[in-house]
Amino acid sequence: MKYLKILLPLLLIGGGVAYYLYNKPHQNMEQANADLSIAADQLFKAFSEDENAANTAYLNKVVQVSGKVRSSSLDENGISSVMLESGDEMSGVICQMDELNDNQRKEFSAGEDVTFKCMCTGMLMDVVLVRCVEVK
Amino acid sequence: MKKACLMLALLPLLSVSLQAQKYFTRDGHVSFFSDTPMEKIEAHNHKASSVLDVATSRIEFAVLIQAFQFEKALMQEHFNENYMESDKYPKATFKGQIVDPSAVNFSRSGSYNVQVKGQLTIHGVTKEVTAPAVIKVQGGQVSATSTFNVAVADYNISVPALVRDNIARNVRIDVAISYQPMNN
Repeated sequence: MKYLKILLPLLLIGGGVAYYLYNKPHQNMEQANADLSIAADQLFKAFSEDENAANTAYLNKVVQVSGKVRSSSLDENGISSVMLESGDEMSGVICQMDELNDNQRKEFSAGEDVTFKCMCTGMLMDVVLVRCVEVK
Repeated sequence: MKKACLMLALLPLLSVSLQAQKYFTRDGHVSFFSDTPMEKIEAHNHKASSVLDVATSRIEFAVLIQAFQFEKALMQEHFNENYMESDKYPKATFKGQIVDPSAVNFSRSGSYNVQVKGQLTIHGVTKEVTAPAVIKVQGGQVSATSTFNVAVADYNISVPALVRDNIARNVRIDVAISYQPMNN
């Protein structure tokens, strides 16, 4: 009985913590502090010159990126993606807007200067950033 | 005369389809499902890149592991840090070929069932896989879908005993791509 008095609260706390962890929310990108700030063309340059070094420096970091909009598109789920100028004709820096944030701007016009806070995921044809929120 | 006119009218169409011998996308959809009685887990990636070369029937895909979005943050964390080690292996790639290219007529609308065979690299491990795919051609637009299974153990991904019943041994992968013609 004595043991139960100690064990039961411990179990409850343990269960509570496990439940909280299991359901913990995704990082709130609006409130996230940027690990670093960089211009889109510099970010692209870093990845195209030395992908491994750039992965170490930027992967899974909250990156604040600034640049000029080349184009933007809306996918079938209503999530917009903005391609930023990179100094390279073929490739760019793609910013996929945060699907977990509903109050985001969907329309971006070419030539516009923007700043986003995003998670950096690496480079395929382009540098790909996801979960972007606009920084005003 | 009528025939000749028709031919002339069709000529530009023909040259367009001959020029666009390569197709690509940078926003393909790749998702996976792990289904066990304990738990259903799915994740989506809308930034897959792919190139399809009609002349050689070669087809390539790449996805960034960290661009997979899960419903639960904890799962996403475990997926990246423990299972896929995405800081070490940031990409998964597929490089292969349409096995039966004659089954597809890219200049004619239709839905074509094909087999795609090639090297699938996940978590730094490369395996040969063959998967069924459907290539759709409609009004010059090319799209492709495929569903296949991947055994987690084949790719050197170790799942701790504690959650072994929560993660399927075979994970289903769905691919859906709308291609754009590549301008050379």
